[in-house]
Amino acid sequence: MKILTTVKKVVDVELTMHVKDGAIVEDGLQYVINAWDENAVEASVQLKENNGAETTLVSIGGGDNTDMIRRCYAMGIENGIHIDDPALDKADSSIFAKVLQKVYEKGDYDLVITGKQAQDTDSGQTGIILAEYLGLPCVSNVIAIEVMDDQHIKVSRSGDAGAEIVELELPAVVTVDVSINEPRLPQMRGIMMAKKKTIDVMDLAALGTSHDEVGAATPKSEIAEFMTSKLRKAGQKFEGDAAEITAQVVDLLANEAKVL
Amino acid sequence: MAKVLVIADIKQGVLKSSTVELLSKAKAIGAETAVVAVGSNIEFLTPDLANAGSDTQYIADDPSLELFSAGPYALCVVDAAKQFGADLIWFGFSESGKAVAPRVAAQMDAACATEITDVELSGDQVEVIRPAITNKVMQRVKVNTDKLVAVVRAGAFEATEGITGTENVVKLLPPAPDSKAVIKELVSDAIGEIDLADADIVISVGRGVKDQAGVDLVKELANDLKAGFGSSRAMVDGGFMAHNKQVGQTGKIVAPSLYMAIGISGAIQHLAGMTGSKVILAVNKDTEAPIFNVADYGIVGDLFEVVPILREEIKKIKS
Repeated sequence: MKILTTVKKVVDVELTMHVKDGAIVEDGLQYVINAWDENAVEASVQLKENNGAETTLVSIGGGDNTDMIRRCYAMGIENGIHIDDPALDKADSSIFAKVLQKVYEKGDYDLVITGKQAQDTDSGQTGIILAEYLGLPCVSNVIAIEVMDDQHIKVSRSGDAGAEIVELELPAVVTVDVSINEPRLPQMRGIMMAKKKTIDVMDLAALGTSHDEVGAATPKSEIAEFMTSKLRKAGQKFEGDAAEITAQVVDLLANEAKVL
Repeated sequence: MAKVLVIADIKQGVLKSSTVELLSKAKAIGAETAVVAVGSNIEFLTPDLANAGSDTQYIADDPSLELFSAGPYALCVVDAAKQFGADLIWFGFSESGKAVAPRVAAQMDAACATEITDVELSGDQVEVIRPAITNKVMQRVKVNTDKLVAVVRAGAFEATEGITGTENVVKLLPPAPDSKAVIKELVSDAIGEIDLADADIVISVGRGVKDQAGVDLVKELANDLKAGFGSSRAMVDGGFMAHNKQVGQTGKIVAPSLYMAIGISGAIQHLAGMTGSKVILAVNKDTEAPIFNVADYGIVGDLFEVVPILREEIKKIKS
């Protein structure tokens, strides 16, 4: 089985963000692997270890992604492709999906695993749109993957009313939730080996496509501006005798907020 | 006049509140409205669908549509959108909506925006507002296509009192099942449990409740109030709460009238899942806990002492 995993470099959400003149202030920001993609990498490596597979990752944009890709190598991914092209700076999910389609068509993949969303946009679209472009079956928000035979996998998806069990014919696309696994910490031996591995960096031309073909200049949507999040304000805080303040708060919930 | 198609959110034969909320917003911006309902044995909901504020009801009702399957579901939505000539196609916040919306967008060559909290029309230009980066910032997104598929964040739009619609049913032919992604089974959440997404009151537990005894203590309060019972990630990772009870960016996003955070410190991922709530009560012994920065009412104290008093006081005012 050949598995393609997508990995995105995203801003570390634990840090404070500042917005100025409609843009995020870059100073002091740090970048990390998208949390959901780390689960996708772990899922791919587990399939390799348990069922035998060749694992390849692809990352789009992000500038120098060497550290992130090497980390994924150290976790067990074998091959890495990095599509880096300034034309993709303002790409939306559809454009990312078009580029991934080109990557997919150059390999002979049986399964694509993506994180269910990226923590910089929180959109959750790219993997699903990729499946549509490729005409492949797709299940999103997957929490378990089991190989049935060469042509089929069984997945569990976290749905609205419970776990949905779906049998997928390969090739297929799945997008995974963080609850699917606990990503491993790379070990020293893996980290040393990863340093010797190469990364296949290419622009759109080298991928065999063009700005026009992926629609880079005509995104379906674009970010007009960033704004400061409308945070809630701290309300009333009560300290002191538990019985007294609790009674007071219940009274406020009932008579001021009117929610009891 | 813009045409808005709202995807009906139906669960176990009940029409959820997001449908009337989305249709209310559509009417508020002066749009022509339609609703599409997909499922099995749902046609009886037609009057409810009209009363929610729709003037046309596209209904795909077939036994093959009983279990959710994103492929056929998307085909029904696209069919309805094309027949109606929809400009804006809106899903309420749900796992099925999040799975179907990008498919519909790809099939219609339309822009897709998830988690939107507002929509602004000026002439033909559509813009949406949405949070990004785990709610740390907001984005204004410009739509460059003539159609937009969107998933609306829970609690973003409010239902209008006295909204009306008219019954005008269009039956859709059920599409063939997806032969390459076959839904075999639904392993239901425990029967009788209150759905976090629908609950008027949600009570969540965090690391502060410590163990099963702490979980059970708070669960009693949730039972008293018929509240949804949720969790921070710590208690899920600790094995005390089921994964589908996790409130937060990586779990469920809720927007109830009242949210009680019991023993939850307020990590950014958790806040992203509940700050849309109307009123927030936090109970935490650490006066510096970040949860107090978003809480309307904060009780600084030992939850093991406070929760039993909360139960008693609430019982008093309810009686």
